[in-house]
Amino acid sequence: MKKTNPSFLNGIPELLVLRLLSRREMYGYQIVEEIRTRTGEALSFGEGCIYPYLHYLEAEKQVSSQRREVEGRNRNYYKLTARGRKRLEELTTEWKRVTTGVSLLMEEQYA
Amino acid sequence: MPDFIEPLRRRLVELGCPLAQVRRLVREVADHREDLKQAALSEGLSGADAEARANAQLGDPLVLAEHLMAALRRSSWWGRHFVIGFGVLPILAVPVLWTLFLMLGLSLEFALGFGWDWKKLHVAADNPVAFHHLVLALHGADYVAIALVTLLFCWLARRSAVSLKWMVTSCAICSLYALITWGRIEPHSFTLGFTISLSMTQQWIRAAIPLLIAGAIYILRRRTTHGFQEKVAV
Repeated sequence: MKKTNPSFLNGIPELLVLRLLSRREMYGYQIVEEIRTRTGEALSFGEGCIYPYLHYLEAEKQVSSQRREVEGRNRNYYKLTARGRKRLEELTTEWKRVTTGVSLLMEEQYA
Repeated sequence: MPDFIEPLRRRLVELGCPLAQVRRLVREVADHREDLKQAALSEGLSGADAEARANAQLGDPLVLAEHLMAALRRSSWWGRHFVIGFGVLPILAVPVLWTLFLMLGLSLEFALGFGWDWKKLHVAADNPVAFHHLVLALHGADYVAIALVTLLFCWLARRSAVSLKWMVTSCAICSLYALITWGRIEPHSFTLGFTISLSMTQQWIRAAIPLLIAGAIYILRRRTTHGFQEKVAV
């Protein structure tokens, strides 16, 4: 994520990347663009900085990668593994718990 | 793409990024840059403008290299907790690892030399020539154990892409322990211990092993960086 993102956003990149890869396999540029466009540009990875993060997820066996040629271009495609899917379920549950809690507090404050 | 990719590659090497990682990161950033360029071309920009925009989106290659290295360090426990991993943990782990490696080495020698036969070992201990060989075998296993512990921390430092000073710190701790620990063999007995006495030449030889390894890695790393820069310059 961008350096300016506050620390409470730690863990969100993992959730976003795993969520995107749960739908289909993607390469780095696609992931960056999808995050940017689908979050209404509220969140974005620094260009190029996604790769060490993907390598980390690969080392953790949450994603796997394969370099192959599609439409004349060679790229590294990443896809979710069974371990990544399990991790995504955990993170999604945690995210829902946190956002529900925050929503309750915010509604109370502005009611 | 000499204007963007080569400075990025060179800076990653200078920062001590493992070469396999350099190759992979550079290849993926080059792919990413090409995707940015293609996106700009599809919007109707000229080739030169598309390339300029792709470069602008990626930013300064030297800054990008720093960010990539920071992300690489953050991606491993050793990279995130380098003070604990290379400053504190060696203080606790080196004696344990040294003992473990030494015992493994001695067990291997015992298996190869005596076929796990204690009687043969006791007979050898009573023979001055064979006993001298046992002493040499102990020294060999001891030196190898010290080298292995040092290499383990050097490997972890390299793998997690931490700065050279943390690798040297862990080597210095290994050296200090090598100076004060000892293994001694006498006929029918074997002891391990600590001592502050610095009069034994063997202790200084042991202490030199981690420092020699650190020096060799430092020279190798410098040669790799220089060799790479010369290759790029050509």
